[in-house]
Amino acid sequence: MLFTDRSIWTMVHGIGLGGGALMGLAAALFYLYAARSSDLSVAPPGSGALAGATVLSAALLWLTVIVGTYIVFPPYRATPPAGVTDLSEFPRALVLASPSTAWLHAFAMESKEHMPWIASMLATAVAFVAVRYRSRLLQSPSLRNMAMALLAISFALVGFVSLMGVFVNKVAPLD
Amino acid sequence: MATTSVSITSRDVNGSAMAAFAAAGIGACAMGAVVLLNELGLFAAPALYAPAGGVTGRTTLATIVWLMAWAVLHHRWKDREIAPGRIGAVTLMLIALGVLGTLPPVWALL
Repeated sequence: MLFTDRSIWTMVHGIGLGGGALMGLAAALFYLYAARSSDLSVAPPGSGALAGATVLSAALLWLTVIVGTYIVFPPYRATPPAGVTDLSEFPRALVLASPSTAWLHAFAMESKEHMPWIASMLATAVAFVAVRYRSRLLQSPSLRNMAMALLAISFALVGFVSLMGVFVNKVAPLD
Repeated sequence: MATTSVSITSRDVNGSAMAAFAAAGIGACAMGAVVLLNELGLFAAPALYAPAGGVTGRTTLATIVWLMAWAVLHHRWKDREIAPGRIGAVTLMLIALGVLGTLPPVWALL
């Protein structure tokens, strides 16, 4: 078989869900920035699309962290049985076996365990405001700036943990 | 004399938005705090799914704190206009603390 179940779930987690969330966050951020208007009395068009993009991003982020935590992470952290010398089926043990790759667990994976949940909370807050306030989110500088800040932080966190995931998967893939 | 009545709904004030933003900050800070307490050996949230380990308990606990904070703040602020400056600053500070708490190099400083 070309891809194992573990490999497919890893791709769904990182490329499908996580990648989709990153694109949605980028689109929402761009729209919030581009919709700045000097005339605050006129509602810019597209608040519905913005709400859709933020809701989609938040939903994809929650799916990413849930799939990552409950489906992808268990095989990653599985402990090899005593006497096993081929660690290719046990990614955590594999990266910890070498001092040059131990940081991939101690820093990269440890960061990935919790940080994306924060990103999901931030994206959800913005999605709620985008749906509830629609055009007012674009007309109110304080709401728009706060939404942009939270989305930017969420995007940065997701981008960072995605990069860490790429590094881990490059050295110790879940095949 | 004709009178005009203006209907003010919760969408006309920013309380709901401020509650959502502030709760996100509280949730982020809760995540960092739960992780730090775990690393210090002061509190270990029980694993909800053994194959994934303690991360399931820590993330679930922080998520519950976030949702509870959101519910309380939304209930209290939804019909009010809240000064955004201070809420924004506090929210960003809580997020920064939360993110720092999840960074392994910070654990090494404790």
